Amino acid sequence: MQEIKKVTVKVPQAYLDFMNQIFEIEKKAANLKEENSIQRNLNKMKGILEEEFFKGSSTIGLTYHNPLGESYSDTRTDCEATISGTGVENLEIIEVIKPIIFYAYHENEKVIKVIVQPAVVIVQSKNSNL
Amino acid sequence: MENTINFGIDLGTTNSAIAKFVKGEVIIFSNPQDYGRNTLPSVVSYKKDKITVGNKAKEFLEKDPKSVVGVFKRKMGTAESFKIKSINESKTPIELSAQVLKELKTFVNTGDTLDAVVITIPASFDTIQSNATKEAGIQAGFKQVVLLQEPIAASLAYANMKKEREMKDGQWLVYDLGGGTFDVALIKIKEGEMKVLDHEGDNFLGGADFDNMIVEKLVIPKILEKYSFSNLEDEMKSATGKFNAKYYVLLRRAEEAKITLSSKTSAEIVIDGFEDEDGNEVDMEIVITRSEFNELIKPNIDGTIDMIKKIITRNSLKPIDVQFTLMVGGSTYIPYVRSRVEEVLQIPANCEIDPTTAVAIGAAYYAATKPKEISKSDSNKKQTSISIKASYNKASKEKEELFAARITGDVTGLSYRILRQDGGFDSGIKKLSDRINEDLPLVDGAYNFFTLAVYDEQNNVVETDIEPIGINSGFGISGQPIPEDICLEVDDYDNPGKTRLKLIFQKNSILPLRSQGISFPLNKGMIKGNDDDFIYINVLEGSHLALPEANKGIGFMEIRGTQIKRDIAKGSDIEITISISESRDITISIYLNMADQEFKQTFNPKERHTPIEFLKEQVEDLSEKLELEIQEATDKEDYETAGALNKLKKEMETVSEETENLTNDDVTDKRYQLEDKKRKIAQEIDSATKNKRIQQVKAHYFEVKEECLKMLDENGNDHERKTYNDIVAQENAFFATNSPLKIQEKSDEMHSILSRIKWRTPEFLTGIFQWCKNNQTRMNDQTQAKSLVDAGNFAIESQNWERLSEINSGLLKLLPKGAEKEATTRIGFGL
Repeated sequence: MQEIKKVTVKVPQAYLDFMNQIFEIEKKAANLKEENSIQRNLNKMKGILEEEFFKGSSTIGLTYHNPLGESYSDTRTDCEATISGTGVENLEIIEVIKPIIFYAYHENEKVIKVIVQPAVVIVQSKNSNL
Repeated sequence: MENTINFGIDLGTTNSAIAKFVKGEVIIFSNPQDYGRNTLPSVVSYKKDKITVGNKAKEFLEKDPKSVVGVFKRKMGTAESFKIKSINESKTPIELSAQVLKELKTFVNTGDTLDAVVITIPASFDTIQSNATKEAGIQAGFKQVVLLQEPIAASLAYANMKKEREMKDGQWLVYDLGGGTFDVALIKIKEGEMKVLDHEGDNFLGGADFDNMIVEKLVIPKILEKYSFSNLEDEMKSATGKFNAKYYVLLRRAEEAKITLSSKTSAEIVIDGFEDEDGNEVDMEIVITRSEFNELIKPNIDGTIDMIKKIITRNSLKPIDVQFTLMVGGSTYIPYVRSRVEEVLQIPANCEIDPTTAVAIGAAYYAATKPKEISKSDSNKKQTSISIKASYNKASKEKEELFAARITGDVTGLSYRILRQDGGFDSGIKKLSDRINEDLPLVDGAYNFFTLAVYDEQNNVVETDIEPIGINSGFGISGQPIPEDICLEVDDYDNPGKTRLKLIFQKNSILPLRSQGISFPLNKGMIKGNDDDFIYINVLEGSHLALPEANKGIGFMEIRGTQIKRDIAKGSDIEITISISESRDITISIYLNMADQEFKQTFNPKERHTPIEFLKEQVEDLSEKLELEIQEATDKEDYETAGALNKLKKEMETVSEETENLTNDDVTDKRYQLEDKKRKIAQEIDSATKNKRIQQVKAHYFEVKEECLKMLDENGNDHERKTYNDIVAQENAFFATNSPLKIQEKSDEMHSILSRIKWRTPEFLTGIFQWCKNNQTRMNDQTQAKSLVDAGNFAIESQNWERLSEINSGLLKLLPKGAEKEATTRIGFGL
């Protein structure tokens, strides 16, 4: 059997902290009731991290994914979950404390993505009797 | 085969770890499923078809106690067993521990066969408990299991770190405060032999308790000071409570704050995202200081100290008789734990080893001293021959892709596990059968690799013939390419008043596409409310090297003064984002920075959008351009081109006339026909003048080629000759493209061969050296410059050209940036 080497990438914590902050702002901006264009600047910042920061190297960049509302099971090693409520079937992500951060790079003209930060989430069964 | 055991396992109550001794050092294996963390939660979950060990099992521990088991180490050696509802079976603590050990085996990526191991046990374990641990090891497939007491393991880690082969006779304490348990032991060393003299412990004390206390005693009271809740604590802590999810969020934040407090004197906890009973949004930040936290955990820490005092009294010791207290376990990172223990006992706290891995590391050091006692025939495991035929889509846009496989060979007792390379998916260990099916979740926009590994009953890898599973969810094979460039018409700053094309998406890029925002300053201002002020945004399809008029318009937007919220100054930024969906909808979004306004429109290429006013303007521009090109060709006495262009003139005039006659509200197809005609003329102008450009670049190519050939004959090497011949062999092909850009590219390649050769010729090298010498005064480091120049003179004298080449590079680097460029262009090398 040919083994695939699992790639472990160490991204400096400061980058992850920075992305977590953008994520937090994005969450807050989404809750604002007054009309605003904060999202535009956030998208720009995300774009810079995704495509500009590492130009000229094989690194493409860092992106994050907010798994809110997605279903959850114990096969999802991209999230660190805490289960709230009652029941463990039919779980759904109801709170995201930190997003999943991906690190993307080129290898043999392929885009390879590696998770450098699993999401920290709170999940709850859809059948939870609340 | 190695003669010593070398592998050590810390089989902990809450967390376990595995380490190996390799050539004098111990490496600790990281948990492949947990992003570089070294430990594995000692929790096992059973489902109908699979067993999960570690983090994922731990997540379900509290809420699904009927199928998930943890802290079973406390029950080792008892007749108690755990009823697992999901599989309708009971599992003994030995069986559960064996699962943890088997999972730890999968951490080992060094290709070793694990048949012998050292496993650590608490100092408090009696014979039955110790034997139970040994049995767990045997059940996990180890042929030889050696036990070692945890405080000794930690002490060994410390002794080895200190590189002291023989530690001085004496005694010390090992204080082990982990995530959920506390142990303390008194160790004595005499004539090189370490022994546990006494021990105490609390099975229900650890870091998790501190997190709980932060939420209960600090956070909740502070929320209640500001907001009104009648029963907040219960609503949070009860599984059916309204704020149960919030409670877990707060626990996470409390844990983070606790960690922060180990390095900082205060930490914030943000509380938001819910409403109190009066409908007020809870949004507050609580600052917790280190002293508040210390005060909070003081009773617990003092409790551990009381246990130590008992040990000291029982053994008739004075604090002075104890050399130090060795701190082990994650919670000893807390500064207060260290200082309080030190302060009360008057024994120095020793924090020199990594508290989370010390026990496993010590076990590995011990393993390195223990010979293997396994006969060769025993260790030759029989290998099952398994063949796997897999079927799955190699490219997919779905969120999940079904993987199916047929297995031939004897599958009895075997299990399998599928992992995603990025660490985001783990099927868990499942029973292998003749046919297996698995939904594999895919990460969008990337290649997804999965490995399928087959294990025997002891989690030893069984050789199979399956290749890695690769599924492309990226914009690779599966997507459809765009047939032509997609461009944006922008101002041509080299030719004021004219426009050129900016490439947004290159031909053959795969749909869907989305550009990053393209920003540039506006070349004119706009007054709010003025209908005569406007901006055009024109997106075109066709070669980006062509004239804008020659391409098909596929999206067009205009913004008028009447649409803007405030005046826009010339030079303020406009940001344009273009995206094309897989079904080819083009969305243009325009953002005016100064007005903080966004305009967005989606175009369906089936509907053509050709405003007459804009068409008129384009036609006018084109006819001007035609005049100009005719003039230029005539001036250069290029009568062929001038003739071709003159033929277009007549046609151009007709189009201009007809366009001029169109009314702005014309509803017929006339505008589209005229637009097509206009485009055709533009293409012809383009191709007539393109010949001129092609001639120029071809001439340049032949010039370079000739010079290159000459240099190759004199000084070229085989590699350079081959590169040269390769380019020449492609000549017909790239000439046939009729693209000036392509031909230029080849000239450039040829030129770089030329410069490489030049860098070896004495004349050229001496030339550069001379130039550098003349510019020596401008160099950044005069001393170094002088020594390089001296060395250069000597190199020339001794005709050491290789050395001179090095010296030249050194000298050029000393020049200021601009000057370096000056040198390279003046002397004519490098591109």
